[in-house]
Amino acid sequence: MPVDLSPEALEKGETMIQAKQLVKNYDAFRAVDGVDFDVQKGECFGFLGPNGAGKSTLMKMVYCFSPRSAGELSIFGLDPDLKPAEIKNRIGVVAQTDNLDEQVSVIQNLEIYAGYFGLSRRETKNKIQSLLGFMALEAKSKARIKELSGGLKRRLVIARALLNDPEILILDEPTTGLDPQVRHLIWAKLRELKGQGVTLLLTTHYMEEAHELCDRLLVMDKGKVLDSGKPRDLVQKSMPPYVLELPATLQKNLGALPTAVHMEAHGDKLFLYSTSPDVLEKVAVSLSGEFRIRTTGLEDLFLKLTGRDLHDSD
Amino acid sequence: MEISQSTSKPVPSTFRRLMAVCYRHMTTYNRNFFTNSFGVVLEPLIFFMAVGWGLASAIGSIDGVPYLVFLVPGQIMTSVVYSVAFETSYGTYFRLEMDHNYDSMMVTPLGVSDIFWGELLYVGVRAAFFSTIPLVIFGVWGLILSPWAVLVPLVCFFTAIAIGSLGLFANRLVKSLNQFNFFVSGLIAPLLFFSGTLFPIDKIPKAVAFVMAWMPLYPSINLCRMLTTGHFQPELWVTLVYVVLVPWPLGYLGVKCIRPKLIK
Ligand SMILES: Nc1ncnc2c1ncn2[C@@H]1O[C@H](COP(=O)(O)OP(=O)(O)OP(=O)(O)O)[C@@H](O)[C@H]1O
Ligand SMILES: [Mg+2]
Repeated sequence: MPVDLSPEALEKGETMIQAKQLVKNYDAFRAVDGVDFDVQKGECFGFLGPNGAGKSTLMKMVYCFSPRSAGELSIFGLDPDLKPAEIKNRIGVVAQTDNLDEQVSVIQNLEIYAGYFGLSRRETKNKIQSLLGFMALEAKSKARIKELSGGLKRRLVIARALLNDPEILILDEPTTGLDPQVRHLIWAKLRELKGQGVTLLLTTHYMEEAHELCDRLLVMDKGKVLDSGKPRDLVQKSMPPYVLELPATLQKNLGALPTAVHMEAHGDKLFLYSTSPDVLEKVAVSLSGEFRIRTTGLEDLFLKLTGRDLHDSD
Repeated sequence: MEISQSTSKPVPSTFRRLMAVCYRHMTTYNRNFFTNSFGVVLEPLIFFMAVGWGLASAIGSIDGVPYLVFLVPGQIMTSVVYSVAFETSYGTYFRLEMDHNYDSMMVTPLGVSDIFWGELLYVGVRAAFFSTIPLVIFGVWGLILSPWAVLVPLVCFFTAIAIGSLGLFANRLVKSLNQFNFFVSGLIAPLLFFSGTLFPIDKIPKAVAFVMAWMPLYPSINLCRMLTTGHFQPELWVTLVYVVLVPWPLGYLGVKCIRPKLIK
């Protein structure tokens, strides 16, 4: 695994998070199994993996919610077992499930949360004003949480995570279940934060999101790292550049495939990969119907790495 | 919006963290203040009108005071105790398992101790506050015989922390919400009935009375009765020490018990 553990990187004080052989057991079940990664200042680092891969568990260890079972972990060079309050004072967390105080208003939610960080009355007021503006929540500031849509709640949770000016913002599936407009708004805001030097750590099931935001990715399954690196490198390293997608029903119509073509089945689809678009073109014209050849991306890599079986059902 | 990366902010002090937790509970509770406080204040009064008048005329006096006067401390304590017992059993369960409020607190500088000690302090203050209302009404009614009664809210504060701790402890044991019935109906209710709320504790079998005398409620009610009647008993000092000291180890155990519910 290409982890940058070089002494220079560490010495420059640029490593924000570092994990070595990190393990998390829930009783007899091992949810995270020997994971190494590091996150550098100002980058956006993403965890990808199917349901139950261990992404949230990994993040919970980073934001000092779950104690690790084995391995090494440091955030800002501090050990989460020893200095949780110091670490948590400097990070912002958007957990997978919204956990707002449902009974009270948007503003009150922010005021309550600001109290946990010991912000003064004036700091709280100023910060809330600017955050409501930043996440476009002003119109809803007096609304109770029950009255908010999923997208508004998510924006509020993100705003809340920014109250303490975090150096690292940790987001567990920030845009799951949100409409495209909200998703784009959130992406824009996250990019803006990154531009201000905030380090981002996120998980997502959307390959588009990973592509849009992440500088580096770590693909995991069953608690183990499958691969990691820059999105483009990852795809180039393990995938042929072109793919032809076909319905699985056409399998019987396919003759003998050229040796330069590699076939995989996922769900009701067949994926024919090749380094040459011409070879795929020939296969496509041999079939009746219109089939487009496209370049491979993260989605293809993800399916390849994490296998074809459905997870959480085995 | 600017993220200021320059200043390194200190972790808030323990005091501020506890206050922040209290503030959270107050804000969420106050949103429904009238609905929430309705029962706590009205219950002891309704009880008085319904049962007190009728029984009082039949019973006359107990331990040298009119029966209504005898009833006052137990009634103040009953409403306070039920309100606290519900708060840290059902209420805490909801925050823990349904709304995940504690999860959102845990990712701030707060730790498990801050969260639950804050909660215990909050129920203590709330109990003290709510006890003042029936206290004033009973005072106007002429059922408070001694100015020492101004210390009753303080007794309620300590008692609430003790009872609140039991609620946290119950959270460790239950597997589902309705199992709190065992806690409220099986523990708190009998604790209240046999702690000298309606009749003196020496009217029940000696063995039971001995046990109840050392449970977290009897000393509180006994102390309140001394304060509202002005009839101080020889056991005043030991009772006082009990009421003031016992909540803290109970709180410690309650917080310790609930910790694994939050940290996994
Ligand atoms: N508190 C817990 N006790 C026992 N097992 C748990 C606990 N939390 C998570 N697990 C298990 O650990 C595994 C990893 O869970 P985790 O939530 O980290 O997955 P994930 O990658 O975030 O999945 P998703 O994409 O669905 O959010 C799962 O099999 C899950 O059932
Ligand atoms: Mg998850």
